[in-house]
Amino acid sequence: MNWKKQRHSGTVRLLHWVYAPAVLALIFSGLYIHSPSHAFGFKRMDSARKTHAVAQFLLLNSYVARVCYGMKDKNYKEIIPNRKTLKAIPKFLKYEFFLSEKKTKYPKYNPGQKILITSLAGLTLVQMITGMALYFKPLQRAVKPAGGLNRVRWLHYLAALMTASSVSVHLYFTLTNSLKKLKSIFTGYA
Amino acid sequence: MANMDGSTKPLIIWLGTNTCAGDMLSFLNAKDPGYEELISSIAELRFDYLLSASEGSDAINVLDDLQKNHKAAYILVVEGSIPTRSNGLYSVIGYRNGKAWTALQAVRELGAAARYVVAAGTCAAFGGIYAAAPNPSECVSLQAVLDRKVINVPGCPINPEWMMGTLNHLIQYGEPALDDDNRPKLFYGETIHNLCQRRDYFDNSIFAAKPGEPWCMYKIGCKGPVTYADCPVRQWNGEHLSWPVKANTPCIGCASPEFSDGSVPFFEHLPDVKLPGIKVTANRVGQLTGVVTALGIGAHLIGSILTGRFAETLKKDLPRGSKLKLRQRLKKIH
Repeated sequence: MNWKKQRHSGTVRLLHWVYAPAVLALIFSGLYIHSPSHAFGFKRMDSARKTHAVAQFLLLNSYVARVCYGMKDKNYKEIIPNRKTLKAIPKFLKYEFFLSEKKTKYPKYNPGQKILITSLAGLTLVQMITGMALYFKPLQRAVKPAGGLNRVRWLHYLAALMTASSVSVHLYFTLTNSLKKLKSIFTGYA
Repeated sequence: MANMDGSTKPLIIWLGTNTCAGDMLSFLNAKDPGYEELISSIAELRFDYLLSASEGSDAINVLDDLQKNHKAAYILVVEGSIPTRSNGLYSVIGYRNGKAWTALQAVRELGAAARYVVAAGTCAAFGGIYAAAPNPSECVSLQAVLDRKVINVPGCPINPEWMMGTLNHLIQYGEPALDDDNRPKLFYGETIHNLCQRRDYFDNSIFAAKPGEPWCMYKIGCKGPVTYADCPVRQWNGEHLSWPVKANTPCIGCASPEFSDGSVPFFEHLPDVKLPGIKVTANRVGQLTGVVTALGIGAHLIGSILTGRFAETLKKDLPRGSKLKLRQRLKKIH
């Protein structure tokens, strides 16, 4: 009998390992496209743009698949913050800002994780809409209220900065909060 | 319908509102067909605010006659944005019955009776420079004051062929295929970036560091990637000699709906962030985000180490053998 508790299903892990590298590739190639510098790992704009194009389709597909899976399996309820989550925020922040020593146990994700993951999902949606509008002229109608393509470009950049920042925070907590939970995104079990 | 002189050539009114006259001056440089051919064999330019030999009531009466006796028989071309403040008194095109005839009244009256209405230049098409902040005369685009379709031919100034081509299309074949901003797809169907002669330099990351260098202008704020126009292949003027990037200066996106507020600073890649009392560049926002994130993570990590939470996590989650080694190491440190 397997006494370990499954934390992430095979589908969740598979999709995670498709969109995680895609997001990282998009951040680095996108920053290079914004301001070409060897620091982002590219030598030519051509290769940065190709990487960006391939990664965006990987992200788009895995994002849509993850949303569909979340709806089917109803596991979106574990991620999206609800009223209970909001009430738990002060306690959570007290602990994270070292004002309290008592660590609260949460069913799966703590309020910080829920907000972070939901924010990343929202930012990804913004990136997809603005990115597609910059890529395909017929989709520019959807972003007209933003006030022109240069402003859409600016929104895309701003969302990219916020995504990069959120991903850094996610990686930091993943690596320092619980090694068992970190292992679970590879093995499925905590 | 026959014209006053008995000819049946289409009639054109070219009205100037809040404008620098750049569009008409550019239009005069058209070739094949040129301006002379237009007025001698293609159409009749019945009124032109810049080239009119008559003035005062003689000139204004021509407009009155066109509006009353040639309904749906003329093309109204408007150059310049329309000021709306003080009922449009910031642009008066003439006097009728001793009263000021504002551009706002004129375009509404003449526009209602026209067969086609064409906005010449970015100011007429989208508001342009006259509508830029703080916009004291409350200028708006032509479309904003008319409840009928306006064909936009933006550019600051317009390429003469964009306007000549649009007028000829209207006269010979009717309305051309338009994009979402009512611009003829014929001239505004592709980005400047995709048509640029220096595209190879962009793909190979060979960038100009300052204006005047013969490389890709992307890093010094070229708006080619977000501007739809065929400048790189058509070039200026009638002789197709040059265009901004060929003259070693970045495209400033003058044919875009967001020009000029949305395109400034011209020599920066992205617009600045403006908050009350603060103005920062996009790059500075990026640097600040990086620094704040790094400081936040660093501070939390130091806090975790100092309070022992980090060591606790390692002790709790590492396999048994590793825990012993860790404990020995921690003892050594202490």
